[in-house]
Amino acid sequence: MESSRSLTGAPAASAAATRASGLARVASAPLLLAAAGACLALGVLLGFLWAPTDASTMGFSQKIFYFHVPVAETALLAFGVAFVASVLYLRTSNAKYDRLGMVSVRLGLLFSVLVMITGMIWGKAAWGVWWAWEPRLTTFLVVCLLYAGYFVLRSSVEEEGRRATFAALFAIIAFVDVPITFLATRLMPAGLHPVVFTSSGAQMDHRDLIAFLVSMLGMSLLFVGLLRVELAVERLRDELYYLKNRLG
Amino acid sequence: MEGVAAPVVAPGLHTTMWRQLYVVVKKDVVNELRTKEMLLSMFLFVVLAMVIFHFAFSVRAHTDLTYFTGGMLWVTFIFGALLGLNRSFAHEKDEGCLDGLLLCPVDRVTIFLAKMIGNLIFLLVIQALAVPVFSLFFVSRSYLSDLPAFLAVLLLADLGVCSVGTLLATISMNTKARDLLLPIVFLPLIIPVLIAATLATTAIFAQTASLGSLGSKLLFLAAYDGIFMLAAYGTYDYALGE
Repeated sequence: MESSRSLTGAPAASAAATRASGLARVASAPLLLAAAGACLALGVLLGFLWAPTDASTMGFSQKIFYFHVPVAETALLAFGVAFVASVLYLRTSNAKYDRLGMVSVRLGLLFSVLVMITGMIWGKAAWGVWWAWEPRLTTFLVVCLLYAGYFVLRSSVEEEGRRATFAALFAIIAFVDVPITFLATRLMPAGLHPVVFTSSGAQMDHRDLIAFLVSMLGMSLLFVGLLRVELAVERLRDELYYLKNRLG
Repeated sequence: MEGVAAPVVAPGLHTTMWRQLYVVVKKDVVNELRTKEMLLSMFLFVVLAMVIFHFAFSVRAHTDLTYFTGGMLWVTFIFGALLGLNRSFAHEKDEGCLDGLLLCPVDRVTIFLAKMIGNLIFLLVIQALAVPVFSLFFVSRSYLSDLPAFLAVLLLADLGVCSVGTLLATISMNTKARDLLLPIVFLPLIIPVLIAATLATTAIFAQTASLGSLGSKLLFLAAYDGIFMLAAYGTYDYALGE
């Protein structure tokens, strides 16, 4: 491996400094994760105890909204971060953007699976079925399949420069495809199931909104905390690989 | 590459580009016409898929498949296109043609456009042969009055399939997995085209198409084509590699 590409594009001499900053990242992560935990717990408490129970047919099942929607938005945020990191990688060829892209896609995929699981639970409560081809749920299913391909692509390229370039390229195209897929699922004829996930933002009670925003903040902090841990791990993994190569 | 390309391309940029495009497309078409390997296997595959669909869906006597026709047609074409996309770069890679092409003073975007047009031509040829067979097998109503709309759906959906397909085939050709990887990355990306094309085609075959609903699907397909051609245009340099 070239020393210029070995870690963050910095010379190998600064490996010790990199390791120190990597460890600092891990060290700061628990704080973020603790804040995330606190916000998420507060969000759930506010949602369950303070916010009014939904007056429509959804009733109590609407409470999952405080978990489901923040997870969904965080998943999209993660793919957005991966998109930006990929554009930056193609422009600079700096390995740190490749790592950021990969870690973001990994977390995005994890959050997307959570969206589907919580969506299915909500679907069961609201419509009585575990799976409905509802536009947003369908979009997340396609998104999961799409970004799973990202890792298949990565694993089938050995040379790391090329792997990073192809992965970045794919992450860009995949992100462009997400809103298009959502629009396409809206073209489908509406089935038996009413679209209950309408833009309810404007009609929300202020207590709903506060509980939602607290949960949203918690989920975003969770994402950033996990991102830092994962990035540090990947960075150390790269460094280990580099050191192993130097030893022979 | 640019350093070599500049003096040759400079005198008449546009005419040179069109000429290069023509030459590379012609190379692909002539190459295919010599063996007819890809066209023949794509056509056979497409007809086989239709026969298999018949057996898979005709579970009762006199089953009316009208509302499945759009889906059957586009699943057939998308899988058929996959076959062609894999082949279109297999030759280039195995015979070392791509290296030669990259050494030529041709812009990489021109290579992309040429490969895409080549794939589009092959897909259109297959469709010209397969659509009459499909109509004979499955479509009981005449859709002659909607033929222009149907042709527009074919062309716009094919453009989407070929632009995304050519870009991804270029990437997958440079990987270990090759033809194994292409369907995995291509199929999720092509779902929007499949949805819009299937809905429009079914509406035409079932004669339930209204101009407004067809228009929105055609517009959607055109937007998809525009966005992904732009994305491919911006990224193809990286897909080809060094």
